[in-house]
Amino acid sequence: MDIRFSDCSVKFKTHVALHPFSLVLSERRIGIIGLNGSGKTTFAKLIDGLVKPTSGTVTVNGLDTVKDARAVLSAAGFIFQNPAQQLIMPQVMEDIVFGLKAHGLAQVEAEARAKAALARFGIEALGPRRVHELSGGELQLAAIASVAATGPDILIFDEPVNQLDLKNRKRVVDAIHALPESAIVISHDLPLIEDFDRVLVFHEGRIVFDGLPAASIAHYREIAGC
Amino acid sequence: MLTSLYVEGDTFLHRQRPGAKLALILVVGLALYFTGRMAVQAVAMVIAGAIYFSLPMTVREAVYRLKPVLLAIAVLGLINIWLLSPQEAAVSTLRLLAVVFLAAAVTATTRIGDFMETITWILQPFERLGIIRAADVGLALGLVLRFLPDIFAHYEGLKEAHAARGIAFRPLRAIGPLMILALKDADAIADAIDARGIRGDVSPSNGERR
Repeated sequence: MDIRFSDCSVKFKTHVALHPFSLVLSERRIGIIGLNGSGKTTFAKLIDGLVKPTSGTVTVNGLDTVKDARAVLSAAGFIFQNPAQQLIMPQVMEDIVFGLKAHGLAQVEAEARAKAALARFGIEALGPRRVHELSGGELQLAAIASVAATGPDILIFDEPVNQLDLKNRKRVVDAIHALPESAIVISHDLPLIEDFDRVLVFHEGRIVFDGLPAASIAHYREIAGC
Repeated sequence: MLTSLYVEGDTFLHRQRPGAKLALILVVGLALYFTGRMAVQAVAMVIAGAIYFSLPMTVREAVYRLKPVLLAIAVLGLINIWLLSPQEAAVSTLRLLAVVFLAAAVTATTRIGDFMETITWILQPFERLGIIRAADVGLALGLVLRFLPDIFAHYEGLKEAHAARGIAFRPLRAIGPLMILALKDADAIADAIDARGIRGDVSPSNGERR
C-alpha cells in the first residue's frame, strides 16, 4: 500500500474539514481515531476519491484520486458505517454478483467470485439470505465480502464494529485481522486498533498525533479528557 | 414489517420473463384506457386483484404494501364523483385499481436484478440516441424498489417515536421527517454506489461529494 497526501486540504463551503497536511501511508494496518467531527471520515473518503481535495493531491498506489478516480475505486474498497445502505440488492449473493458485474465480469464468473468471497469470510449460508433479515454482524460481514470480492488492495472501514454486540464484534474484528489486504480503520473501539502498525489521531481537522497505537490512544484520551 | 417488495415463490407469474410482464401491464393499461365500459373495468379489476391476492403472502401484507396507493385512489375517486359523475368516477377508480393490482403483482414476482436488466435492455435504443444512460435508469428503478421498504420502516419508526412520547401521530406531520430521512439515506446510498464503482463515470467536485 502506498498512499500519499501532498499539501492536501478539504473545505466544505466555509467549513474547513481538513487543514493542509502531507502524509505517506504504507503500513498494513492503520487506525484512525478522534472525536466526532474531527475529520476522520473526510480523510478516509479522500483516499477512496469520494471527496476531492480542495487543494493538493492524493495518490493511491501511484493513481491520482481525481484523474484516475475509477482505478482508485478498484484499488481501494470502502465499507461504510451502515452496511445495510451499502448492499444495494435485496439478497446478499445477488448484491455481490451485481457489484462484480458492474466491474465488468460476466454472470458466470461473477457468481463464482461471489461464492469464493462468501466462503472466504465463512458466510456461505448468507448468500441466499435477504439483507433485511441479517443481524448487524452478518450485515457487516456481507458488506466486507461484497467489497473484497472486487479485489481491492486496500480496504477502508468507517467504524466497522459500531453498535455490534460482543459476539458479532468478535466476528468482524477477527475478519478484519485476518485480511490479507491492507486495512485503514476508523474506530471508536480502541481495542480493535491496539495491535495495528500505526494510528493517526484527528482533532478539529488536523492530524495531531501519528504513532504507535499505545501512544496514539494515550494522546486521544488526553484530548477526550478521559 | 415490509422487508422487500419481492415475494419468494414459484407461481405462474414468477416463472414469466420480466419483459413479458412489463408488456402485459402496458397492454392492459392501454386497453383499459381506451374503453369506457364499466363492466370491462370491473372484470379487469377482479382478475388483477385475484392474481395479486393469490400470491404467496397474507392478505394483510398484500393490503399493507398497497395501503398508500389505495388511499390515494380512494381520495381521487371521491374527487371524481364531485367533479365528474358517479359512473365516470367508478370507471376511473376500477381502471386504476386493475392497473395497480397488476403492477403490484408484477413487482412482487420479479427480482430487482431482473427488473433492472430488463429496463436497461428496453432503454438501450434511447442510449444509442444519446438521450439517456440506460443503466442509470435501471439502477434508479432498482434502488426505488430496493429501498422503498426502508421508507416504510422509517414511517413505522416515526409512529413508534410519537407513541413513546405520548404524542398523537398524524401521517401528514410525518411527511417532513420522512423526507429528511429519505434524503439522508439517498446521500449514504449514493456514496456507497460511487465507492463500489457501480456507475461508470467518476468526477469528484471540490471538497464535495461526487
